[in-house]
Amino acid sequence: MKSIEVNGVGKKFYLKHAGRHTLKAAALGLILRKKTREEFWALRDINFQVEAGRTLGIIGANGAGKSTLLGILARTMRPSSGTVMVRGRVSSLLELGAGFHPDLTGAENIYLNGSILGLSRSEINKKFDYMVRFAELEQFIDTPVKHYSSGMYVRLGFAVATEVNPDILLIDEVMAVGDEGFKKKCLDRIAQFRAEGKTLLIVSHDLDTITRVSDEVLLLDAGRIVNVGEPGQVVDQYKSLGFFKEGALVIREWGTREAVISSVRFCNVTGETLERISSNEQLIAEIKYRTEKKISDPVFGFAIAKSDGTLCVGSNTVIDNCPIPSIEGEGAVRLRFPALPLLQGKYFFSFSLHTRDQKTNYHRLDNRFSLWVDCPRKAEGVVNLGCVWERA
Amino acid sequence: MSLWREVVTKRGLLGTLVSRNLKIRYQGSAIGFLWTLLNPLFMALIYWIFIRFMKFAMDPFSLLAGVLSWQFLTMCCGDAVNSVAGHPNLVKKVYFPRIILPLSTVLANLLNFLLSLLVLIALAIIAGRLAWGEALAALPAVVLLQTIFCLGLTLIISCSSVYFRDTEHIIQVLLMAWFFMSPVVYPMELLSRGGVMPAWLLGVYSLNPMVGLITSYRASILHGPAPEWIAAAASLLLAPLALVAGLRVFMRHEPDFADEL
Repeated sequence: MKSIEVNGVGKKFYLKHAGRHTLKAAALGLILRKKTREEFWALRDINFQVEAGRTLGIIGANGAGKSTLLGILARTMRPSSGTVMVRGRVSSLLELGAGFHPDLTGAENIYLNGSILGLSRSEINKKFDYMVRFAELEQFIDTPVKHYSSGMYVRLGFAVATEVNPDILLIDEVMAVGDEGFKKKCLDRIAQFRAEGKTLLIVSHDLDTITRVSDEVLLLDAGRIVNVGEPGQVVDQYKSLGFFKEGALVIREWGTREAVISSVRFCNVTGETLERISSNEQLIAEIKYRTEKKISDPVFGFAIAKSDGTLCVGSNTVIDNCPIPSIEGEGAVRLRFPALPLLQGKYFFSFSLHTRDQKTNYHRLDNRFSLWVDCPRKAEGVVNLGCVWERA
Repeated sequence: MSLWREVVTKRGLLGTLVSRNLKIRYQGSAIGFLWTLLNPLFMALIYWIFIRFMKFAMDPFSLLAGVLSWQFLTMCCGDAVNSVAGHPNLVKKVYFPRIILPLSTVLANLLNFLLSLLVLIALAIIAGRLAWGEALAALPAVVLLQTIFCLGLTLIISCSSVYFRDTEHIIQVLLMAWFFMSPVVYPMELLSRGGVMPAWLLGVYSLNPMVGLITSYRASILHGPAPEWIAAAASLLLAPLALVAGLRVFMRHEPDFADEL
């Protein structure tokens, strides 16, 4: 039996521009009929199912839409499109004591949080001692939670949420907090849940834990599902997509994807593909794009950085005075470097496709491409200025 | 009606939230719940001293009745601002009928109000001022009517403050004006006596539901004059109307609260 069925779900937010939250702005908007809000799709075309009793891990970079997806499953947010079917009692593990009131004691918060999550008073009475013991807060249970450490907060939150006895438990990045001992307890509790045949959805950046506890992993990027499948495989794909840091650089791919950079190839004048290049050679970067609808006035950009994050150069088709009226379908642009006067080392290329005002990023590939540059001169720094010494 | 059923199934949560609201208000204060009584008593005392310098007479019991009823309204309006907007984590992370949040603040304030009314009645008995008889029997109906009115306003304000942060400040200004337009610190007779106001203006004035409500409290507890028919009709009509409007506004926007906070 399917525990969760998500069909074609999308979630649209309106980006809040400063000042929108005032009556004046709202009134002006009404009078001028001006669109003060910009749409942003946090999730698009999400389709997946979870069999009852299975554990689904959800991974993705920050801003990929993981928490929005959990919000929709927890019914706190309504999808802008598509349908969600959830069978059974859902409990969410609240983020770091959300739902706790700082002025109330731990005990009072157990009752408050428990009843928010759907426990009756007598159920809480019955499980109270167990929860306190699980959270290891026997001594502090009558202390206002504002004096708690963040670890104590989470322990209490976890203890209450897992006693709700849900059919489906949503866990959003909780195991990051708390010490190793408690983390192990949480994992044991999760294992117990799985053994009882409950359905779990876990969002985490802790890829090892995700791989270990999940039956399946769903990889989200920029609001879309990249892949769902066997944990080890999907986690490897996530790593290979290179959302990880290389030195000080963040490698990632994002954007609205109304138009995408489908491939980038480095080659020399004769068209040979290159992975390394000599600094006095000519370099051509061939950037292929694909778009379904016509996009007017697009801007292609690039940047070259060193692995320590130093930006060597960055420019785009507006700065370099090469306007592109519109693009549609498939095509390519070429970026030609007469030479690469850089010193020896590995350089990281970013490419982007965005609007002229840079407010909408169709597709950005940050530091996704690397190229080794050979330079005969072994100087220090970034740039080979070609200077010579002379005796005066 | 499904809303009603949902709220009933969540009555445990409602009860917990009401007691939380009461607990938090007096957290860390030495005399706690007594403040509910002392606050309006002090306020009434200050007004009474002030009024003695003015040119009209005001009975202290009438004054206290007005202040208590007014306090119920302002506490509801004040708490309403944060009842939803003050709990972003809760609203974003857990599903429950959102109406429980404003409902719990109104119920907590109602409890406060009932207790302070009991004290007023006790004081009136001691002073031999209590109106025994059928007028007093109407008191629960008056309380119910004001609760309906306050709930309606609370729903509108709590919803509005999710979208507009200015709500809080606007409410404060409006309450200030409303205070002087309601017979809280002065008796209704001061205005209804001939010559102070033209009859049409008095009619407009009486459309304010608080006029009928406060006058009714004084009538039922202290044998004050019954409200004019316009004032009575205005309260009887506008209070339920406020609730209907509040429910409609709130239920319409409820699904989007998590997006806005």
